[in-house]
Amino acid sequence: MISSVRLKPLTWHPYIAPVELPQATPEQLDAMKVTPSAKKVSEYVRTLVHDPESYVARTVLFNAIMYVEGGLARPDRELGALGASIVNGCKFCAVVHARRHAELTKSDDVVTALYLERPETLGPRDAAINSFARRLSAAPSEATADDINSLRSIGMDDIEIIDLIHAISIFGWANRLMHVLGHAESGK
Amino acid sequence: MIDAMDKAAGLSLNDARFSARRFRPEFVEGAELCRLSVLTPANDQGLARDLRVALARRMATLNADEALIAQYDAQLAELDPSRRLSALAEGATDLAEPLATIARHVDLVTLSPIKAEESDIARLAEAGLNNPQIVALSELIAFVNFQTRVAAGLRLMRAR
Repeated sequence: MISSVRLKPLTWHPYIAPVELPQATPEQLDAMKVTPSAKKVSEYVRTLVHDPESYVARTVLFNAIMYVEGGLARPDRELGALGASIVNGCKFCAVVHARRHAELTKSDDVVTALYLERPETLGPRDAAINSFARRLSAAPSEATADDINSLRSIGMDDIEIIDLIHAISIFGWANRLMHVLGHAESGK
Repeated sequence: MIDAMDKAAGLSLNDARFSARRFRPEFVEGAELCRLSVLTPANDQGLARDLRVALARRMATLNADEALIAQYDAQLAELDPSRRLSALAEGATDLAEPLATIARHVDLVTLSPIKAEESDIARLAEAGLNNPQIVALSELIAFVNFQTRVAAGLRLMRAR
């Protein structure tokens, strides 16, 4: 019996200076949905809001993909996000979404299997999702029609598969921001 | 209406995947608004549209995405690109600065984001990019890598 992996949250710090609220433009403040008197806005938000248009568009899409009602179950979306984050090397995103998966499923088993690189211990549903997430995240993508067939064979319909494709792909995006523009540290 | 993602994935109006995609209007609309925010933003931060489309074309090639290569080639042709931007789009590495540094970064983050380090961002700053430009470039890179994966996934769903 292997002991389960429990991950502590990490803190993210940017490599470039984030926008300071007193210097933020009205468009940046509006994008962050903050008033000039607000004190706490994360370094992540203040870094990406250097370009407020893409910040707003991406945030709306990200929230829809990860939190929209119905369709693919939340833990499956988190597993897609986690698989992508491991391939893309984004430790920060991996820990956030591993923890969320463990919370939603009330189990560390899947996270443990992935962090200890023992995917053979995954059940068929998690194995199919993880394998597709890994292969779609390669550049160029290495996913094949067999991956889609595996998802269908565990009972996923087209709408759920499209949800999963988006959850994996939006981390092809998020990982390329978080891991490239900054680094993760344990503690504060 | 057929949008850029449908086109990239090869979906027509009567395709089951076209309808399945519309189950999530927030994904369809959201992806299109994101595309516009990185390719034709109201404030381009000094990274002009022809540069952005040329870089997108370069990344489509790195992802071996024939449909997106064709889509970005058509967009670039409309902008009557300079020879240096055409070379950038086609994957050249012997470029003048700051294009050489930008191209190196785009290639690195597209192909192996896991290898990106703090010094890669410092290189962009040394090449003259300011912070808004570094962020805008990062979002463009990240978007194209999102777009090509959604398109690839939708294409794979065709085979039953």
